Amino acid sequence: MGLFDSVFRELERFVAGKRGSAGYRELPITDFSDWPSQDDLILEEETALELGNPKLGSLTLLAWREEKIEEDSIVLVGPDLPEIRNPSAPFARIVLVSGRFDDEYKCFCELRDVLYDIRLKGMMFRVLPSRQMIWTRVNTRALEQGFSLGHLGSALIENLRAVDFVSGVRVVFVTSGKQDLTALSGPAARAEKLVGAMMKMTEEMSYDCDSCQYNDVCNEVAELRRIRNRLKEGEKR
Amino acid sequence: MTPRVMAVCGKGGVGKTMVSAILCGELCRRKDRKALIIDADHAGGLEMALHFPGGKSINQVRVETIQEIKKKNADQKDLARGIDYMVARALTERGNLAFLSLGRPEEVGCYCSVNNLLREAVEQLAVKFDFALIDAEAGIEQVNRNVMKAVDYLLLVSDTSAKAVRVAETIQKVAFKNTGETKAGLLVNRVHSEEEVEEIQSRTTLDVIGWVPEDETIRKFDGLNLSFFSLPSCPASEAVIKAAARAGILG
Repeated sequence: MGLFDSVFRELERFVAGKRGSAGYRELPITDFSDWPSQDDLILEEETALELGNPKLGSLTLLAWREEKIEEDSIVLVGPDLPEIRNPSAPFARIVLVSGRFDDEYKCFCELRDVLYDIRLKGMMFRVLPSRQMIWTRVNTRALEQGFSLGHLGSALIENLRAVDFVSGVRVVFVTSGKQDLTALSGPAARAEKLVGAMMKMTEEMSYDCDSCQYNDVCNEVAELRRIRNRLKEGEKR
Repeated sequence: MTPRVMAVCGKGGVGKTMVSAILCGELCRRKDRKALIIDADHAGGLEMALHFPGGKSINQVRVETIQEIKKKNADQKDLARGIDYMVARALTERGNLAFLSLGRPEEVGCYCSVNNLLREAVEQLAVKFDFALIDAEAGIEQVNRNVMKAVDYLLLVSDTSAKAVRVAETIQKVAFKNTGETKAGLLVNRVHSEEEVEEIQSRTTLDVIGWVPEDETIRKFDGLNLSFFSLPSCPASEAVIKAAARAGILG
């Protein structure tokens, strides 16, 4: 059983539930390659679209499993950028990865760095990891030139696939509305707790389990117990 | 080379904020560069002079970050990302300008890593803009604490008093000692006659880049608390813009 297996399953159920609905589509990766990479500062006056304003809803989530994702894909639930009518929209970016994760914390950091390092011309990102929030701005020029969430998905897949332990990637974007983001709050809270527990035991090196805020999730998830035991063993040596 | 990060420094009450506000107005009018404006004076005078709606200050970001750390675990990388997010959300914008206020320190305690990350976040943010202007607090404390190591031009403001000129000289010396390369120019404010400027020039080693006459328009704007974004062209604004052009800050 992998660390994020239950989260992964819940997210897959969410995607499966949306399949066939009007707002659901899969964007062909090859149609969206080659958008230039650039670290842009985008001010309000040049912003065509804002995604993930905390008032409207914002979520970024990473989960993995060992079982291979057979085909890399980009799933969009809701309108793509050129179709969004309001200047500001809710936004979720869910990244599902398959591969081998022998050292979960190292793998998590490596995947997280890839997500942090994505730079696309005409798009500006800010991430608040402690609240799983992502805030982005897309400038007018990028939108006029046909920038789509497909470009972001394609860049994420390309960069994640360059990581040696990754065997498959599915990127899910949600722009449909706050209701769908609320539906994701369960797996989001669980992922947050798992990452928090893993980070605490790695960063703090404290094993006083009785007083730990993550006691419940550690007792429930075998992978967390395994990480904790491995770290304890490492400390003894 | 055109300075990218400029700090307006000087003794208290010499008119730093007025100079900063005039420069902000001009940068906004020209629209040729994205500029970050940092009100580093705890009193928040620039925010008031420009009527920028108060966003979150850097010190509020600091307090929130500390609260987040107390609640949740984060490694340095996540913490840095979080601060970057909160600093970006704290910006108040007007056209090509983005405004950030330092605010007052509120949370007591040693959080060196937060302070360092905050400073790095602001420096990294400043680098992304074409130009950054810092309205510094009075005196040499900020320069002395090396908080402005990214600054490549010091616009030293003084009035005609010997004390104000001496403070400007000290700031320049400290900054030069800390960085070894920061350029500086002296702008003399509230001047009644050109002779006063000549007299100052004769007793200082600083490069006098201009002087600002006493101006009724400025007095009126200050008195009525009008936004300097609506300041019409007047002798004081023209003098500040001319000096800034001489320093290479404005083309």
